[in-house]
Amino acid sequence: MSPDRYVLRARGLAKQVGSGRARRQVLDGVDLDVVAGEMVAVLGRSGSGKSTLLNLLGGLDRPDSGRIAVAGEEITGAGERALDRVRLRRIGFVFQSFQLIEELTGEENVLLAARLPGAPSGGRRRAAALIDRLGVAGVAAHRPHELSGGEQQRFAIARALVNDPALVLADEATGNLDDASAAMVIATLGELADEGRAVVLVTHEAGSAAAADRVLHLVDGRLQVAAEGVRPDLGP
Amino acid sequence: MSGALREAWANVRARRGRSLLGGLGIVLVATMLAVATTVSYGLLTGFDRGAAEADLPDVLVSFDSQPASAVRERLASLPDLEAFSLREQLTSVPVRAGRESADNGVVEVVGPGRRGYAIVAGHDVSRRGGVVIEQGLATDWGLGVGDRIRVYDSPPLPIVGLARAPDNVAYPLAAPHVYVSLAAYRAATRQRSARHVNLAQIWLKDPSQLDAVLVQARMNSYGLTGLSLITRSGVRVLIDQAAGIVIALLGALSLIALLTAATMLTAAARAEIQRRLHAIGIWRAIGASRGHVTRVAALEALLVAIPAAAIGVGIGALLAAGPSDRLLGLLNQPGPGSGLVAPLIGCFALTVLIPALAGAWPAWRAAGGPPLTLLRGAEMRGAPGRRGAANGGGGLLRLGVRLATTRRVRLLATLASLAICTSFILLMVALAAELNTLANDPSSLGRRYQLSASLPASAAPRVEALPGVSAVGPRWEVSAVDAYSLGEITYLIAFRGDHTQFEDPPLVEGSHLHGDHDAEVGRGLAQLLGLRVGSTLAVALADGHELRLRVGGIVSSLEHDGRIAYVPERALLRGEPDAPEKLAVIVSPGASTKTVTAELERIGAQVTTSTGVAGGGKTLVDALRGLLLTIAAVDGLVCLYMLTQALALTAGERRSAIAVLRACGAGARSIRVLLAGAALAVLVPAAVIAVALERFVLGPAVSRLAQGYASLSLAADAAEIAALLAGLAVIGALAVWWVVRRVTARPIAGGL
Repeated sequence: MSPDRYVLRARGLAKQVGSGRARRQVLDGVDLDVVAGEMVAVLGRSGSGKSTLLNLLGGLDRPDSGRIAVAGEEITGAGERALDRVRLRRIGFVFQSFQLIEELTGEENVLLAARLPGAPSGGRRRAAALIDRLGVAGVAAHRPHELSGGEQQRFAIARALVNDPALVLADEATGNLDDASAAMVIATLGELADEGRAVVLVTHEAGSAAAADRVLHLVDGRLQVAAEGVRPDLGP
Repeated sequence: MSGALREAWANVRARRGRSLLGGLGIVLVATMLAVATTVSYGLLTGFDRGAAEADLPDVLVSFDSQPASAVRERLASLPDLEAFSLREQLTSVPVRAGRESADNGVVEVVGPGRRGYAIVAGHDVSRRGGVVIEQGLATDWGLGVGDRIRVYDSPPLPIVGLARAPDNVAYPLAAPHVYVSLAAYRAATRQRSARHVNLAQIWLKDPSQLDAVLVQARMNSYGLTGLSLITRSGVRVLIDQAAGIVIALLGALSLIALLTAATMLTAAARAEIQRRLHAIGIWRAIGASRGHVTRVAALEALLVAIPAAAIGVGIGALLAAGPSDRLLGLLNQPGPGSGLVAPLIGCFALTVLIPALAGAWPAWRAAGGPPLTLLRGAEMRGAPGRRGAANGGGGLLRLGVRLATTRRVRLLATLASLAICTSFILLMVALAAELNTLANDPSSLGRRYQLSASLPASAAPRVEALPGVSAVGPRWEVSAVDAYSLGEITYLIAFRGDHTQFEDPPLVEGSHLHGDHDAEVGRGLAQLLGLRVGSTLAVALADGHELRLRVGGIVSSLEHDGRIAYVPERALLRGEPDAPEKLAVIVSPGASTKTVTAELERIGAQVTTSTGVAGGGKTLVDALRGLLLTIAAVDGLVCLYMLTQALALTAGERRSAIAVLRACGAGARSIRVLLAGAALAVLVPAAVIAVALERFVLGPAVSRLAQGYASLSLAADAAEIAALLAGLAVIGALAVWWVVRRVTARPIAGGL
């Protein structure tokens, strides 16, 4: 496989958390490659290190050892500014608790990322298209507390996509949603992968992982292949 | 209790950053309070301390030189007399030491009996010789016991002691005083004639009988010329008036410090408790009592507040000690010494009590709720509010404004505190600038002429013809004694024609001088004698001639503490035909004062340049200005702290929103813009309110306080407002920089 197809390459990631006697190794040599158009689900029990892994992949935290490259750009060891730029242009995050800003309307929340310095141009147009596509145009002027959980998550997905990132990282994106909304979110993430983005979804719900191209288990700080879907050619 | 203390200590240790920040705020507030307390306590009690230390007499009587035996006889017949002592006071004596010299020295020849001054170093004068000099002179000239000073053309005389007498302000505000014993003086001058004196000090058994004694003294003084009686309370009025503005300002500062402390500490404590609702919920769920939770919060506040308040009070006392002692020294008053300990302990107690209450009260309230609610309410989120205009406010700056305005009560409290503190800074800056003007600009005292020439009135046409001279006016000035109030000295000033062309102090009441029977009196004199427009000013001139004039107007003048009266030329010269005269010279616009001075000297005039309140007063003005600017600087630090704390609280409460932004790629620059918006939400309205408050409330209020001395325009001008805005911008930038530095140092994941 051509190296430039890899949107995400992680090698030998290790991370300890806690301090003193509570210190423990949550990641211990994680390797993960994700190519464009692939959706990977990482399953694991509570406290297994799924969110820690996602934070490292997204440049929100730094590994103790190992290397990560996003869209061909090495982010381990990168300075804060370089990391900011990678997150702004290459990565979109979707969180379990939506993390919409209460003071802003749904649409303003989406536009916020597009208005940051250094964001690619055309953000307003993309925001409008995303809001329309995700079916929340009718409530775009509402503030988060006036929206349902599903609507909030759709705005959160639109915000993650507004700068047209190559990699989408979703952390328990369906954890706070009812079944119908959860199914819709999973379907949307699948569509994003179909459009050529790389999607990494961490979850503890096997149902949510079922739609992924690959399902990996995080056990004892290492990823194990749990299932492969329609893209068996892609290894962990 | 020991369990609660252990828990509180563990909390303080676990939250070192927050504890340090909270402690810093307490240090600043305690510093402000201690500065205000040190200076105002020193000034408020200074006169009493000085009077007690110096054994100040109840009445000081000065008169033209008389044989001591005759004066002794008159004084001995006074009722309620405890003691008296006599002195000969020699004025305009040249004194010099090393390179320093003064032509207006006052030599006090002291005889036996009580002194009325305190020896603060060395020992008192004795028949063996040597002199005692006043402490102000020693400080200004760098002299000490053992140094030598020349008086007249004497050989260098050893200085055996330093004295402090609170009946007058110190050198250089007043003439330098040198004390010499009668025996040494007579030996040095080889006097053999009977002793003459011109000053008597009287101590009463019962000071409440002062009025009766004064009436008797007035009767006994029949035939004495140049009589002036000054009571201890009269001295106090003059000294206290001078310190009044400073004390009022410091009183206001203390209130502001308390208000600021209450606002800052309560806001911080509330935010901290909000942040800890979850933990409180857990404690309550496992059985901790409401009292325990409250005790832990109070103890935690105390553990931070006690050392912080001690440090702050110490810093404040040290910071204020220098300027305060300097000011007290100029007023010839001793420092408060150990008397200051109790007020400072009061400051310490207040700055410890406020945080303890601010910590305990919200904890008590929070712990009253059901544990489940507490556990649910642990997450701090933005409060639902008004809907923003769609698409109208996506910018980070505007988002920052919204984040700051979410907590409206806290915003209002911070805004009010910041506005008051800022307006106080503006007032201090305006006052310092005004003092500078008073010190250096004669026109600020209403003086329109630049030069005084010692020439007779008849020389006026000749002077007017000199190049560079715009106008010339003959001016007479004599001292007189108030005929009703037993010896208050009044200075009568007369000009030929309209005096306002040359001296135009602001008119407070009534009208300017017109007619031969009117007088325009200074506010200081009006206050001392209880004069109003329409009442009669009765003064006795040197030869006993009495002048009675109707008070037509009252003016604000700083000259001679406002104890002046502008009187008609004819009335003054009728009473004292040989009154000393000078010519007041107004220099043409664009002409050189130096050139005109040279021209005047060429025709034989001695020329003096008009100054502001300055001359000797410059030192006092400098001391006051230093004090005001110190207070303004401390106040500025408090503003910086308040803003930093408000931003830190906003950033702390909205850490998840900031973390999301950072996760989306917002770097430090973007977070700075966001928090700049939050800072602007507080700073802009605070600046507007502060300027309005200063211009329309504080400035006029302090102007009214000072109107006994001068017409001060304390409404801040454009330059001062611009300086304030620049200062606020710097404060805002520093606060944003510091908070962003802290925010971006934390891992993003921790906020999500």
